[in-house]
Parts: sequence; C-alpha cells; structure tokens
Amino acid sequence: MRTQEVSVLKAHDLKCVRGSAELFSNLNFSIQSGEALVVEGSNGSGKTSLLRILCGFNQSAEGEITWCDESIDKHENYQQQISYIGHQTGVKLDLTVFENLLFEQRLVGVNRKESEIKEIIRSVGLFKQRNVLTRKLSAGQKRRVALARLQLEERSIWVLDEPLTALDKDFVTEFEKVLKNHLDKKGMLIITTHRDLIIPNHLIKRINLS
Amino acid sequence: MLRALLTIIQRDLLVAFRRRAELMNPILFYVIVVTLFPLGVSPDKNFLSQLAPGVVWVAALLAALISMESIFRQDFDDGSIEQLFLSQHPPTLLIFGKVIAHWLITGLPMLVIVPVMALLLYIPNQAIPTLFVTVLLGTPILSLIGAIGVALTAGLRGGGVLLGLLVLPLYIPVLIFASGAVSAAIDGLASSGQLAMLGAGLILALILAPIAISASLKISMS
Repeated sequence: MRTQEVSVLKAHDLKCVRGSAELFSNLNFSIQSGEALVVEGSNGSGKTSLLRILCGFNQSAEGEITWCDESIDKHENYQQQISYIGHQTGVKLDLTVFENLLFEQRLVGVNRKESEIKEIIRSVGLFKQRNVLTRKLSAGQKRRVALARLQLEERSIWVLDEPLTALDKDFVTEFEKVLKNHLDKKGMLIITTHRDLIIPNHLIKRINLS
Repeated sequence: MLRALLTIIQRDLLVAFRRRAELMNPILFYVIVVTLFPLGVSPDKNFLSQLAPGVVWVAALLAALISMESIFRQDFDDGSIEQLFLSQHPPTLLIFGKVIAHWLITGLPMLVIVPVMALLLYIPNQAIPTLFVTVLLGTPILSLIGAIGVALTAGLRGGGVLLGLLVLPLYIPVLIFASGAVSAAIDGLASSGQLAMLGAGLILALILAPIAISASLKISMS
C-alpha cells in the first residue's frame, strides 16, 4: 500500500459550514510525502470536520481536495491509502486487544502473521493485556490499541484526531518515534493535537483554523 | 473478498456472543408474544389455528424491529463504521456481511423455534413446512430492509421511533405474503404464488439493499 513515489495532497479554497455557522473558508494547503501537517485551532473551530473532509467522510461546502492532481471524489483508491483515528477509535470493546487487531487486518486486507501482530501489541506496551477485553482497559490503553492499528495497516496517509489524548508522557515519546518512522518511509501525517509534537528532521506544516 | 466477508460475520457473531443478554432479547420477545397470545385471547383450537399465521408473523416482524438497532448502533458509537469505508474491500460487501451476521443472530433462532411455535398455536402439520419456508425467505428480507432504516437513522437521536415509521410500511408486503402463504397451506390450498413473491422479494432485497445501506450510512456519517 505504501509507495515510494512523492504524492501530494492539496486543498483548494475549502469551506466548511455546520448548520448556519461557517467554520472555515478559503482554506488552502499542500502537503507531500514525508511531511506532517498539524491542524491547530480552538474548540469548535472545525479541526475534526476538516479531517473528516480529508478522509472523504464529509463533504466541504465549497472547494476541492486533490490527491496526485486528481479530485479525491474521483480517485479510486484514495480512501484505501488512509489510516484514520478519530475521537471514537474504532476499537471493539467486546473483543480482546489481539482479536481487535486480528479482525482489523483481515478487514483492511493486510496479511500479517500472528507473531507480527503480537510484536505490534508489544510495541504499544499491551502485550500482557493482549487477551483482555478492550472494555476492561483504561482510556489510554484503548487509545494505544487504536494506535497499534496504524502500524498494522501500514498505509501512506495517517489522519489522526487528537491521538495523544489520555496517553502518558513515556508513550507519547515512543509514539513520536513511530510518527518519525512513518515520515521516514515517505508517509504523510495530518494530525490535530494540543500538545507540541517533536518529530526531528521532517517538515511540520501548521494551519490554524481559529 | 470472501475472507473479508467471513471475517466480518465472525467478528459480529463473536461480539454478539459476548453480549448474550442483548442477543437473547428478540427471540425471547418472539416466544413470549406467541405463548401469551392464546392466554390473552382464547385457547380454542380452531380459533387459534385461524389466527396463527398472523400472530407468528406479526411477532416475527416486531422481534426483528427491536433487534435492528444493534446492527449498526455500536459501530457508530465506537467509530468502526468509518473503518469499513477505508477498507480495501467494497463497503457494500462488508455491510452485507453485517446483515448476514444479524440474520444469523435473530432470524436463524426464529427459524429453529418456529415449528414449536406452530404446535403451540395448533397450526396443522401440513402447513408447518410452508411456515418454515416463509420464515426462511421472509426474515432475511426483514434484516435487509431494516438495515436500510437503521443506516439512515443511526446518526440521529431518537432514531428508534423514526426507524419504526420508515421500516414498518416496507415490512407490510412480507407480512401479507408470508401470512397469506401459511393461511393458504392451513386451508389446504396452494401457497406457491405467495412463496414465489417472497422469493422474488428476497432476491431484490439481496441485490439492492446492500447498495442502499451503504449509501445511507455515508449520509448518516456526514
């Protein structure tokens, strides 16, 4: 799913309206492989809406998003390049940590060995809890399960909405290494966070929606 | 693709099994309605066997309706619905898998228990195979049509009321043809016409409903 070619994601004059309120308008940005885009803004400024528009879940009121110079609405495989973690993490509470990742890899179309899945679980510090129902984990641990999905899926565009919420300091440092590794492999990162991200040697672009 | 279909069925069955209390609700409702009906109306054999097709099918229809919300509600709440649309596999295929899982959880137990319910309501032996076939053909239609309604209302508060209003009118043809087939079989008449209509309805639902569900989910997500 990853390609070594340089891909460019561009937003042209995006406008987002919720109800009668305009969240943002005339939003333009461009991001390419190996770069990160941090979306900043106050609560309710439209950060989550922007991420959902970029994933193709929501439609913008005006403007267009292009991936490799083609509108994402017309691009056949655009959504299959994306790993998305939103406020709701997509983790099934009635499955164990291992089952969550096992089913997820089959559903997204990845074919990893069980040992590889266990290694990913170990990398997010949940190896001891691998057979525990996710329902019984803390909020931070549940988020770690969701973040493990990123490594499982190995897709080129990571769209992450407040991924660091409820995570402890040590894991945030570990996760920044995962993000750096993703960018090193020419991945693309679009993220909202209220914390300062430290990803050395990579261009971090910022847009503020406030 | 078949692997993805089987995976989502397996996943949904496992999740349902881990929520056993909810799993039992529709079938318990079905059994309670059918068993209480003779107590509330009349235990007379001829009277019951005349009303039985309608009772069995109205109970099945309502049991299907109360179980419908579970098909996508949890996926909306935990965010896994978005993940279906990011999969390498067509969302319609995965959604179809979810409907199959829902039918296995709600329709299949009904199919197993319906001969017993038939005996409780004095349905003659010669009509029981017809009743069985109507449940076999009719309950998947209920799941497929119901899933369209749930997909449209899943993003709304109080969607349950709206779901009933949306879905019940679409359930009426199933009710008419299914109870009509059983009534005909009880009277010793041919029921192949009604069964053919149910079969045609099932084929139509199998082809069109996954597309409609997928489109409805996209609308609800946005």
